[in-house]
Formats: sequence, C-alpha cells, structure tokens
Amino acid sequence: MTTFRVCITAGVSALLIQACREPQPFPDDQRDQRLSGGANTVFDVSAESFGHPFPTLSGHDLKIHELGDTQFDQTFVAAPAPVNSGLGPIYNNVSCSSCHHNDGIGIPTAGDPQSALLIRLSLPGADAHGGPLPVPGYGNQLQDKAVLGKSPEGKVIISYTYQKYSFADGESFELRTPSYSLVNLYLPQGGMLISPRLAPPVFGLGLLEAVPEDEILSLATQGAQNGVNGRPNYVWNPVTQRTELGRFGWKASAASILEQVGLAYNQDMGITSEYFPTESCAGQSQFDNLSDDPELADSLLVAVKFYVQSLAVPARRNVNDPTVLRGETLFRQVGCASCHSETMITAVNVAFPAVSKQTIHPFTDLLLHDMGAGLADNRPDFQANGQEWRTAPLWGLGLFASVNYPPYYLHDGRARTLIEAIEWHGGEAAHAKGLFEQMSKSDREALLAFLMSL
Amino acid sequence: MVICRAGTVVLGLSLWFASGCTRTPPTAPTGSEVAPQEVLTDFAATVVNPNYQDLQVKSATLYAAVAQLDSVASDANLVIAQNAWRAARDPWEMAEGYLFGPIEDFNYDPSVDTWPLDRTELDSLLASANPLNVSDIDLLPYSLKGFHALEYLLFGSGNAAGLTSREKQYAASLAESMMNTFTALRNSWDPQGGNFTGQLVNAGTGSDTLRFHTRKAALLAIVGAMSGICSEVADEKMEDPLVHRDSTLSESSVSHNSTRDFRNNITGVSNAYLCHYQTNGRSLSEFVSVGNASLDARLRSLIAAALASFDNISGDYEQAIFTQQVQIHNTQAAIHSLKDALDNDLTIFIQTNVQN
Repeated sequence: MTTFRVCITAGVSALLIQACREPQPFPDDQRDQRLSGGANTVFDVSAESFGHPFPTLSGHDLKIHELGDTQFDQTFVAAPAPVNSGLGPIYNNVSCSSCHHNDGIGIPTAGDPQSALLIRLSLPGADAHGGPLPVPGYGNQLQDKAVLGKSPEGKVIISYTYQKYSFADGESFELRTPSYSLVNLYLPQGGMLISPRLAPPVFGLGLLEAVPEDEILSLATQGAQNGVNGRPNYVWNPVTQRTELGRFGWKASAASILEQVGLAYNQDMGITSEYFPTESCAGQSQFDNLSDDPELADSLLVAVKFYVQSLAVPARRNVNDPTVLRGETLFRQVGCASCHSETMITAVNVAFPAVSKQTIHPFTDLLLHDMGAGLADNRPDFQANGQEWRTAPLWGLGLFASVNYPPYYLHDGRARTLIEAIEWHGGEAAHAKGLFEQMSKSDREALLAFLMSL
Repeated sequence: MVICRAGTVVLGLSLWFASGCTRTPPTAPTGSEVAPQEVLTDFAATVVNPNYQDLQVKSATLYAAVAQLDSVASDANLVIAQNAWRAARDPWEMAEGYLFGPIEDFNYDPSVDTWPLDRTELDSLLASANPLNVSDIDLLPYSLKGFHALEYLLFGSGNAAGLTSREKQYAASLAESMMNTFTALRNSWDPQGGNFTGQLVNAGTGSDTLRFHTRKAALLAIVGAMSGICSEVADEKMEDPLVHRDSTLSESSVSHNSTRDFRNNITGVSNAYLCHYQTNGRSLSEFVSVGNASLDARLRSLIAAALASFDNISGDYEQAIFTQQVQIHNTQAAIHSLKDALDNDLTIFIQTNVQN
C-alpha cells in the first residue's frame, strides 16, 4: 500500500514537471522546408498559385475570402450606375485585378488598360505627419486616366536605355535603365518628386502583418552586425490615426493591409470608402460634385482586405535538389540573407488563429535599406530616404513567370530576369552583388536555382 | 507451445502470402496507351487552335453583319447581327474553359468581355462628338468595348429604327475591334505565329524559355483552368444575380443569353477533358482511364450531369432567378461536384502519375 502511494506521488510529480516544462522551438532541421507560409502554404505551380485561400480558414472565413475574391475582380464604372458605381473621375485602373493580375506582380507600363505602374508625387519637404508633401492640384499620386469629359492629371512616358555587361567568364546580360517623364499635365507644375511603383504580388500579406514589431526591430540589430543597416519606416496610418511601423509597399509606407486596400481603392480607382471618404480629386477641376460617398460598402472593403490578408503562400519546390541546396548555402555565404531574412514567427493571435504562431519563410526583414543610386527614386517617403527601399519578400519568386508572363522584378519592373534584378542591387547590397559576380557560372546558376525554388 | 508457436508463424505467413496473391500490386500506370505529351499536343491541336479559329471566323461574320446593319438599318439586318453575336459568343464562352496563356498574358479576355458595361460612359461617349473609328475604340477602357457593349447596342434598342447613326457606327467599330482581337488571339497559338502551342508540345523538355518546366505543370494548368471556370460559373455568374435577386447582375442580361453562356463554359470544360472541338484527339480522359478507369468514368459522368442540368432551367436566366431557384441550385451543386473532383481527384492523379 505504501509502495503504491509512493508510486502515485512520483507519477504525479513527473506529470507536474512535464506540464511546467517550457515548450521548445521545433528544431529547424526537422521542418519541412517547402512550407514557406507555415500551415498556410499551398502546393500549386500554376498561374493560380498566388490566388489560394489559407487552407486553415474556417467555413465562415472562407465565405468572406470568396466574397473578397469576387470583389477584387470587379470592374468599376462611372457614376451613376446600378452596379460598381463610382470610378474616378480620375483614376489609374478600373479594378484591383487589372493591376494585381492573378494576384501577382503587374506589367510596367502606364496608361494602358492592363498597365500596373503608377507614379507617386510630392514636393520637397514633409506633411504634418512626416509623410510626403502633396503637390497642390495633384496630391500624392498621378492619376493618368479620367472619365469622359474630365482631364487626366497627366500622362507618363517611360523610356529605357540598354547597356550590355558580362561576367568574367563571358556570360553576358543586359540592364535597361528606365526614364520617366510626365507630359500633358492638366496644371502647370514644376519641381515634383516622382517615384514609379509597380503593383506588387498580394499573397502572404496577412502573415507579414502578423509578425511582431519587436521581431522586425530585432532584425535591424542583427543586420547591423552583418554590415547592413536596416531601418524601420514609421508611417502615419490614416485608418488608426496613429504613427505605426510601415510594412507594406515598396518603401514600407503602409502600416496595415486595411490602409493599403482602402488607399488603393481611393487613389488608384477613385472609389471612396469609410476610411477614405474624400474623392482623390476633391478640390480639383475634375471633382464630380456627386453626393455618393462612400462609394464602396464597408462590408466589401473589409472583405477585400480579408481576401488579401488570407491569400496563402505557394510552397517551395525542389528543396532537396543538390544544386538548390548549394545555391541556398551560397545565398547565405555572400550575404543575401542579411536583408532577405529567411524566417519569421508570427505572433499569437487568438482572434485569427490561421495566422497565429506560424513559422514562415518570406525572405525579407521588412526593413529599409540603402540600395544605391541606381535604384534611387530620390523621393522621401516618411522615414525612407530617396535611396532606401524595403527588402522585397522573395517567396513565390520562382513562380512569377507562371503567374504572369513575362515576369518583371523590382519596384518598377525594370528587371526582366533574376540576374538583372541582382545586378541592380547597390548600396548596402553592393558587397553581396560583388561576390555574386565573382562566382563561377555553376555557382551563379546554383544561386539562381535556389531563388527559383522559392 | 513450440508447435503452437510454429503453427502461428505458418498461419501468419500463409495469410501474408494469400493477401499478397489476391491483391493487384499498386503499380503506377505507365500511361503507355496515351502519353502526357500526346495529351498536351492534341489539346493544343484539336481543342484550342480550332476553337480560336472558329471564334475568329465567327467574329468576322459578326463584323460583316454589323457593318451591313450600319449601311442598311433594317430589322432583318438587326436580327442577322444579333444571331451573329450569339454565334460568336458560343466559341468564346467555350474558350473560357481553358483560360490560360496569351488570352490572359495579353489581356484578350478583359478587352472583349469586361463586365459590367459602363453605361454612363457609353452614353456620354455617344452624346459627344468623339470619333468612333476602330482606332478610337481600341483606346477605350475595357468596360466600353467587347461583347457587352455590342450586346447593349444590338439588343437594347428593340428595332433597327431605334439605333442612331452614332450607335451603328460604334457597333461596327466594336465588332471590327473584336475581330482584330480574336485574330491576334488565334495567331498567338498558331504554330506559324506566336506558337503558344509550342509551350505545351515542348513542355518538360528542359529549355529555360519554356513556360512549363514539366508536363505535369502544363497538365495542371489545364485542370486549374477547368476548375476555375466551374467556380466562376457556379459561384459568381449564377450566384450573384440569384442571391441578390437582381437580373441586372446577370452576365448577358440584355440579350438573355446567360444560360447559354453558362452551358458553353461547362462545354469548354468537357472539351478540355475529352479533347474535343469539332474533331477528337488523344484526351486527358484516355490518359486517366489507363490508370484509374473509375475516376475517368466519374469525371465524365459529372461533366455530363452538369451539362444536362442546364436543361432543367427553362427560359431566360434573368427570370429563372425568381421562378426556378431549385433548378439553379441543382445546377450549381452539379458544377460544385465536378469542381471538387477536378481539384482533388484529377489533380492528385496527375501529380501522382505524371513523372515530369
């Protein structure tokens, strides 16, 4: 009897010890390297690979995602209209998917129906919140289309100059340097700072939004140890009316998905909503004087926000291929991973379990880095200076050509191949690029094979 | 004990062997009867190219009919133009069953089939003095071009006398612009032209310039497109007018061609699976039947059931959303069943049985 009691006591103690033990991180070498989006990874290599919902969504959430999906494709038309009313009067395109085709990166042209490149504008200086100083009569973005009877703000002319280069082993490549000019401006205006921005892919954003701010800031510290100087961009969020960490956009100038989506409706399509109730051309000669604002129902704005928030990440391919593995090692060795940080862990989120505590591999630190004069737009955007850009996530990179063909890379789509994209890196990335250029052809190909596996 | 143990072992071994003998070894089908490359080659040659060619020819007929209406605005010519519009719409809606490649890359789809039509802008354009030549039409936003703008003009007036001269000119330029677009679309797949056909025929042959690095990826692109149109028909085109009880949300509400549009979309799925458009080729169905005959039979049955279910929706869809909701729900359910089988069973079959 005594012996029996002792056994029970020992067993309970063991259980208690077990219960009190801190859970340890799952060892990296036992993770499935294909799961770039954690549990929210999908296995698809087709043109639809960026357009899947999180597999972990509840039935209710899936319905909202699907509603947002439908709305994302809706074409807006001029007011008044029974369906999708409110386009413009000045705008850049007519639907979300016109620019974010297949939820991927867009086409770097301006003014055509399928164009996905727009121009941000400002004057030197800053507004009351430290953001870009709007241009009188234009605001912060050039709308290059207008409904009939109204004037577009101007037209964007894009031209390229081409230059051949070669590696030491003779392999050649070509870089095209873009030049942007604004013509047919509806109001004379000089001294404008301009920044071209290509519509980026929109998958995985809900996971990036769920990364704790502390974790992103810690990457700034780690980067400094590796000779790079990542900086957070703190931006004004018009939705929350607070200054917050910027995460989205090529310069991390948007703090939340809701802000990004609402702003895109407002500025890109001329569609007003609860958070952006004023037409983009208010105070300008193109203003429609209609009392139809907000033009987009809150439920639809939230559904589109949720659609973007819950787009899953495509899985990596060929993760055990020896060449890919060698490329992965080289990626780290030359310092790419100093900014294109491989792994993040999202915060616990009991309100939205799908994004809670996920180990993800976005290959970004979400921080600003000086990328050199070659890529500079010379237009500050909150705390980002004219040479700084946010590290672009690399997940899904190898599927760009499957989703939208031909593929384009970088903030203005100037790069047509991954080699071109690498070769445009300068500033803090110049050292890594130099090491890439010194590689043998087989090592370069291994590094590219790794990038194509993402 | 020893005997007993030995007996157990012998019995166990016997059962193991018996089990092994009664089962057919789960070998992967070789697909020797129909190779994936044959499926891809014939899909391009027998389905897509003839479909686009048919579309181009019918769009030329449509242009001729609308141009004739522009010259002689009789009710008879209006009916001819309306029928030509429906005839061109058929191959277009079927082609939506395989919406990938140039039709997406070069935005041919939105340039001819954007919905909704921007009627406010269209009325402003007609009321203006803006030129309406085909070169002017080409520069218009998608929501002022294509099938639905032409539908509004051809079916919205009631009779030929109701058409203004600017409306007729606009219609003729719209039809010409569509014909030019479909000519470009046809050429984009033509082996003598843009040769997107080559992307399928040569899929998986190792060239870096190929869209599909594997035949598996090319086949999955076809299946993904088949699934995509199922979703669009059941969950958007049919669902939106039904759930909102609003016939203006129906895709071809002016011509009342919507049900025919939906059926043609699913016919496109059938064409892709059975490799059929006017003639037959080596099909995905045949490839599947080699490895999993019951899956092939089920897919064919689901396609046939989805198509047949449209027969239960009588009259215009714009009225059916008020009077035949059960029949519409049944069709949506049939399409959902088909989509589920495509997304799960067929996709897994290809992932499992196509090597590269």
